[in-house]
Order: sequence, then C-alpha cells, then structure tokens
Amino acid sequence: MKIDRILVDLKVTGKMFIRNKGAVFWTFAFPVLLILIFGAIFSGMNDATYTLYVQDNDPGLYSDKFIAGLEESGVLEIEMVDSDANVTKYIKDNSVTSFLVIPANFTANVSNGTQVAYVELLQDQTQQSSSVVSSVVNAVVNNFNNVLSGSVEHISVDSGAIVENNLSYIDLFLPGIIGLTAMTNCVFYMQGVQSRYYSTGIFRKLSTTPFTRFEWLLSRALWQIALVFMSVISIIVVGMLFFDVHLTITIEAILMIIAGCLVFTGLGMIISRFSKDEESANAAASVITFPMMFLSGSFFALESMPSYLQTIAKVMPLTYMNEGLRDTMIYGNAESALFNLGVLAILAVVFMAIGTYISKWTED
Amino acid sequence: MAGHVIEVKDLVKRYGDLKAVDGTNFHVDKGEVFSILGPNGAGKTTTVEIMECLRKPTSGTINVLGFDVAKEAREIRKKVGILPQEFNTYDLLTVRENIDYFGAMFDRRIPTQELLDAVNLNEKEDVFYKNLSGGLKQRVGVAIAMVNDPEIIFLDEPTTGLDPKARREVWDIIRDLKKRGKTVILTTHYMEEAEILSDRLAIMNDGKFIAYDTPRAIIKEHGYGTLCVIKSGSRAVADMLKAQGLNCELKENDVHCWMQNKADLQIIFRQLESSGAYYDEVLVKRSSLEDVFLRLTGRHLVEEV
Repeated sequence: MKIDRILVDLKVTGKMFIRNKGAVFWTFAFPVLLILIFGAIFSGMNDATYTLYVQDNDPGLYSDKFIAGLEESGVLEIEMVDSDANVTKYIKDNSVTSFLVIPANFTANVSNGTQVAYVELLQDQTQQSSSVVSSVVNAVVNNFNNVLSGSVEHISVDSGAIVENNLSYIDLFLPGIIGLTAMTNCVFYMQGVQSRYYSTGIFRKLSTTPFTRFEWLLSRALWQIALVFMSVISIIVVGMLFFDVHLTITIEAILMIIAGCLVFTGLGMIISRFSKDEESANAAASVITFPMMFLSGSFFALESMPSYLQTIAKVMPLTYMNEGLRDTMIYGNAESALFNLGVLAILAVVFMAIGTYISKWTED
Repeated sequence: MAGHVIEVKDLVKRYGDLKAVDGTNFHVDKGEVFSILGPNGAGKTTTVEIMECLRKPTSGTINVLGFDVAKEAREIRKKVGILPQEFNTYDLLTVRENIDYFGAMFDRRIPTQELLDAVNLNEKEDVFYKNLSGGLKQRVGVAIAMVNDPEIIFLDEPTTGLDPKARREVWDIIRDLKKRGKTVILTTHYMEEAEILSDRLAIMNDGKFIAYDTPRAIIKEHGYGTLCVIKSGSRAVADMLKAQGLNCELKENDVHCWMQNKADLQIIFRQLESSGAYYDEVLVKRSSLEDVFLRLTGRHLVEEV
C-alpha cells in the first residue's frame, strides 16, 4: 500500500467534488433542510395552541368564568360563535374540529347545585388535536368542580426534565439526522461512483496502473468520512444558530461517525457489486436505506413503534449509530454508547472486508 | 527468442461454452507496430486484455517482457502502457490534471509537459476532459498510456468512432511512438489503418488467427493480385481478352481481369485500342486486407467510415 497514491486520489476527489456544484449543494442542503424542517416542527411543539370554537348560549356569570378558565390553560385559542348560529352548519362551513356548546341553563344549573350542568363538546375524532382539546376541557371542568365543591388538593404533579442541560425535542433528533446523513452520503456515493466508474471504464483504466482496489477504496472511504464531518458541522451550526441546540461533541461521537461512515461505505460497495448498472444500484440503495431511514429511530423514537418493528430495527446498522450518538451526545451514557460503538466497529470491519473482497474493476 | 517482447503460446479463453480465443500462437518483436485486425467479436480485445493482465486466460502461456502474465502482473503493469477500448477518465479534471493523476500512480514517469508536447495537447491542457472532442479524448488516453515511459503500448481500437481527420491524427501519434522505439500493439477493425501502420499483423476471426505476417506478405499470399476493371465493358470485350489468354469475366456491367504480371495490362490496352470497343474507364486495383478477409471468411470485415 502506498500512502502517496491514496493522498493523490483523495486530493483529486476533493477537487472534483468542489467542481460539481450540484453535489456540493445537495451534500450540505439535504441535512440542513432536514434540520430546518424538523427544527421548525419540534421547536413549536412546546408552545402549540389549538382552536376551540365556543357557542355561549348562557347569559349568566359561570359560563364567562368557564370560558376564562379555558383561555387560562394557555393551550386553547377560543373563537366565540354567535348564539343564534346553527351549530351543525357552522361546523361544516368552517371545517371546525372542536366545538363547545354551553347551554342556556348552564349558570342556573351550576347555581342551584341540584342538577348537573352539562357542556357539549363536539369533535372530529380523526384529528390528533382532539384528545389534547378534550383533556384541557376536562381539566377545566374538574378544576371548576373542585372549586365549587370546596375540595382540597391532595395530589399534585411536580414536572421535571429527565435529560440534562434543558434539552428540547430538536436536540434529541439531531443525532438521528447526523446518522441519516452519514448513511445517505456514504451509501449513495459509494454505489454511485462504483457503478459509474465500472460502466464508463474508469476502473478499467485504473486497473492498468499499480493503484490497487484497496488503496482506492480506502481513499474514497476517507473522503466520505471527511465529507460527513463537514455535513455534521453544517448541521450543528444551523441547529445552534436557528434552534439553540445543545449537543456535547465527544470522542465516542467522533468514533461513532467514522465507524458509521465505514459501515455505510461498505454497504454501498456491496450494493453496487450486485447491481447491473448505476440505475439499478441506485434503486437498490433506495430500497435498503428507506426502511432504515424510518425504522432506525432517525425521525421517531424506537419506543413509539410496534414491537415487531423494534425487532426489525435491531438488525439495522443505523439503529446502533442513532442510539449510540444519542447516548453519548445527549444522555451522557458512556456505557451504552461504547456498546453501540462496538457493534458499529464490528459491522464496519465486516462490511468493508466484504465490500473490498467482492468489488471488481474488470470482467473476468 | 531474442527480440521478442511478447510470446503467446496456445492461448485459449473460454466464456462458458463460448471459445473467445481458440489456441492462438504469436510473438511481437521489440520496436514494431503489431496489429490484430478483425471484426467485432473476433476475440481481439480479449487477446490483448490477457496480455495486459486485465483478464485471465483459460489456458496457454503468455510472456510479456519476460514476465508471466499469470504470476507477474504487477511487474508487467509497471512496464506497459494501455489505452483500453472506449477509454474514459475523470470528466471534471483538466487534461493536465488527468495526466498528473495517472503519472502519480507510477514510480517511474515522464513529465506531463513532455507528454502534452508528444500528443500535441498544449493548447487544451486546462480544458476539462468532458469538454474535449472524441479525437482529443483519445489523445489524452494515449498520453496517459505513455505516462510511465512504457516499453510496450497497447492501443485497443484507438480510432473507433473518430472522424477521418481525428483518425489520421492518432495515426501520426502511433508513427511517432514507433520512432521513439516503443513497441505498439494495435487492435482495429479498420483494414486501411492496419495496413498503413503495421509492421506485422494478424487477422482474427472467430477466436482464431486466420493470417499472420507482414501486410504485404498476407496480401500476396491470400489476395487476388492486381485487378483491372474495364468500366461499362461488354461481353464481347471480355471474350476478346479471354482469347488473349487473360483471366477475365463480365461482372454486372464491368469486365474484371485478374492480372498475373505487368505485361497483361499492356495487352488489355492494346486490345481495347485496336478493337475500338466501347468502355468508360479502366481502373487498376491492388488486393487489400479487406479482400483478403472476404476471401478467407466469405464476408466483409466492416463498413468503412
């Protein structure tokens, strides 16, 4: 093995990448777009509000107090509807998902205490927000009942964060985006470049020189590691600038990214070897990476998935990268991070060895 | 044998049931241009790619510069230059950068400037490879094949797909390589190219060498000699010349006479003049490699560009 040849190839690869403006743009735009989209979604989750349409048919005092209680929850935005409006027609015409009707006898029933004062909550149950609105309305009703009955509060919840540093949702998802970026960059680059060089004859020409397959593969794997680190930096910078992310960069995280890059570079080599041409290699890479994208915990926590999907996730390399990065960058769980790093390191050796062994530059 | 830089004995290459190369034997001398001529699928590229260590032979002994291709490919690669069929290199590198890149892969190398001079690419040195014409791309390929100052240069169909002007430019480079003392192995399906450039050549068909010698010797052995065509001649003209002992016949509207020697031509002109027979013109054609191929295989080599 000659280091000089590897360095020459590495330099040339970097030069060609810089000259390919489309590749430069998408390499950095893809993870940045992901962080911007997820950042926008998750940063708004803490202060999300839901609209509740209220028709107050009661002229009395308690309906006003009840509505004030709903508003004070801080979760609901109250839209008042005229008392003479037809409820069914209004809901249909305005695509309303949560509608509260306070009957005319509400104050009277609350005041005399002999009859239950009903409010009517009409909801589109297919909407995810319906359970939130229902919970808030029930909480206000309970609070109203407690105040009216003069009962004492026996149990209260004192909320606290599990993770350190006052982390937000976006902090939890950022390692997943780093894992996803490493996977897509390495798999698609390697299958693409191998298939292209094979079909265009560049491998044939390279095979006429003393440059070996192993030297070439090592050069391109090193290039992918460098490129993924550049993407990771851009992800973190965007995250910090726009969403105030809190991440700890650890040596385990760096090793995890390197091991992940090698795993996915090896996977890209294997995919291209078993594909007829660049198009079929690209399709095969999509078929393999898409399930990993959604089932390895990049976008959703593994715990939220059915158990059989969690079992499938256990055989996906990206799962170990995502879990390991979260362990070390978010939770500070060194033991679990080292376990995931160990799994990734073994997979990296196996995938790179298979990829190197089976890849070929010329026909037999 | 002294002077042989390549020796091939009983070379066989099979792909399943297909015998791509079927027991060929030949040698290449130092400093000569040796061509393998044949139609697509004849086995030319397979033969040279085995010599280039890009493919493994099924059987046979192949020795290049004293090294066995089966065991010493690494040594052979250092000493030979190769322009593969349908050569390609990095689109987003300039001509100079591409030559530099491949030069850096070898311990021994010729300075890039010298190579640019050799293939006359100085004006294009800063142009991206992707923006070059087909002829210029082939010249880059030849420069890269020369980058390690090889003793033998393999050029696998270097002019396929090029226009006539670009083809002639590549021919000039091949002649220059010969002047520099390089041994050139050329594969082509253009008979004119092989005839003009080669010191010796082999005609290959269905995996076998069907002729193997200098172009002149092959034409002499397998050609029809010299043909005189009397355009728009008549059966009467053909019969008249036959009566003089010439080998003539009417083919479509022309009279074809195969001549044994120069005196036959004098007889033809004398007879035409004295008889006053009508004809448009008289053409004299020497046998070509195409005619040899047609005669040996019963089919044409290729449609010329």
